[in-house]
Amino acid sequence: MAAASRGGGGGPKALELLRALPRVSLVNLRPNPGAKKSERRRGRGRHGGKKSGRGHKGQRQRGNRPRLGFEGGQTPFYLIIPKYGYNEGHSHRRQYHPLSLQKLQYLIDLGRVDPTQPIDLTQLTNARGVTIQPLKRDYGVQLVEKGADNFSAKVNIEVQMASELAIAAIEKNGGVITTGFYDPRSLEILCKPIPFFLRGQPIPKRMLPPEDLVRYYTDAKNRGYLANPSNIPEARLELAKKYGYVLPDISKDELFQMLSTRKDPRQIFFGLAPGWVVNMSEKKILKPTDERLLRYYSS
Amino acid sequence: MAARVLRGLCWARPALLPARTPRGILHRAAAGAAPSSEFRSQYALDRLYPEQKRSDAEEGTQDGTKQTSPDIPVDRLSISYCRSSGPGGQNVNKVNSKAEVRFHLASADWIAEDVRQKIAVMHKNKINKSGELILNSEVSRYQMKNLADCLEKIRNMIKEATQKSSVVSKENSQLLIARVQKMNRERLRQKKINSTIKQSRRVDFD
Repeated sequence: MAAASRGGGGGPKALELLRALPRVSLVNLRPNPGAKKSERRRGRGRHGGKKSGRGHKGQRQRGNRPRLGFEGGQTPFYLIIPKYGYNEGHSHRRQYHPLSLQKLQYLIDLGRVDPTQPIDLTQLTNARGVTIQPLKRDYGVQLVEKGADNFSAKVNIEVQMASELAIAAIEKNGGVITTGFYDPRSLEILCKPIPFFLRGQPIPKRMLPPEDLVRYYTDAKNRGYLANPSNIPEARLELAKKYGYVLPDISKDELFQMLSTRKDPRQIFFGLAPGWVVNMSEKKILKPTDERLLRYYSS
Repeated sequence: MAARVLRGLCWARPALLPARTPRGILHRAAAGAAPSSEFRSQYALDRLYPEQKRSDAEEGTQDGTKQTSPDIPVDRLSISYCRSSGPGGQNVNKVNSKAEVRFHLASADWIAEDVRQKIAVMHKNKINKSGELILNSEVSRYQMKNLADCLEKIRNMIKEATQKSSVVSKENSQLLIARVQKMNRERLRQKKINSTIKQSRRVDFD
């Protein structure tokens, strides 16, 4: 133990020491003081003994208490309250983790999220601003209004849902917001890209939204990613009129190129197309060349 | 299903890159300026919504006019925020969320002259001695929403003042009076009938 704490001078010196010291066996081994705390055993001595924590007489001591929820004969709470489908189908409902503008501002101010690059769920997850669990029916992140009054960051952000005031707050500061849909498999890949790349599978194409969400994502008011781009300036003007701010002209901005980058509806990552295989260890990207595969991945 | 809906928006085009029309600066900031090296699938926005050729000058004037003559010029109003009233603990005590908007009504040339006078008459309780119309709102916990509410109130005031009361023509007014009289007569007749029914049910003490 003494030899181990000194750290050893290297190969030959440690070997010499080993020859001199007695061998390690159960006789020489001992845990660190405070590492092992012995448990309290019932029926042994002053603190575990006498009634052994069972109380005095009655059902308690004799181990005959009725079942959980029994109220002595009165109709118990769990039976008197009528059934109603509050949680019915909860495991089929889509959940969107809320992200407030206050939190977004906090992340930008602390430098965890870079406003000079397009902000995506991957950036937010890497910054540990949100934690998404695709297996728990999370379908992404929704932008929430809290902190809208103090929000002052120019960003190009892509979320899954956004409320009207949140959109207004971002556009007031000269930013761009888009709402996009990710099916659960794409979401998992988006949130944890590196474990996916280590699997060695080709990047799949992002699926289109289900029927009930198509209307949401084709609406320019929600800045949907499938909406007609020519409707979006009108929607921006409308919001500016409603909330009483002057709409800043993004095209005059120096970061216009970055602010106008958008993903293709079938693309999961910026700069990577579906069908490509990313090799992390050799730092290479493999692209398909077969015509059928190319047709499939660009459909 | 989504695929079917979206394909209905565009034709089935061959998988060739369409010739990209040069886009003016005033064109959509939201649409990606995608260079040809980036990935474009069948559902890329260019393919879903093939561009209609519009002259840039037209676009320019359209957008320009919309910007230069909005319905409420926000820079002409003086907006201030203060603390709201009501319950809410520390949050309501510290956060400035009540929005107050004032503007000088007589010099507001973005409202028509007669509308201005009508507003001065209808809402004279909201105008102070120096002639400023004052509106405030503390509906929500966000300054922006309260400001939007104030602007909405201004728009409603202008709308009410612009409405012209409908003039009832002579024939119509006589008809209306005749209708009211007929309703009253009918009501009294029904009342008498009910009265006789009730009387016929009475049993006299004999």
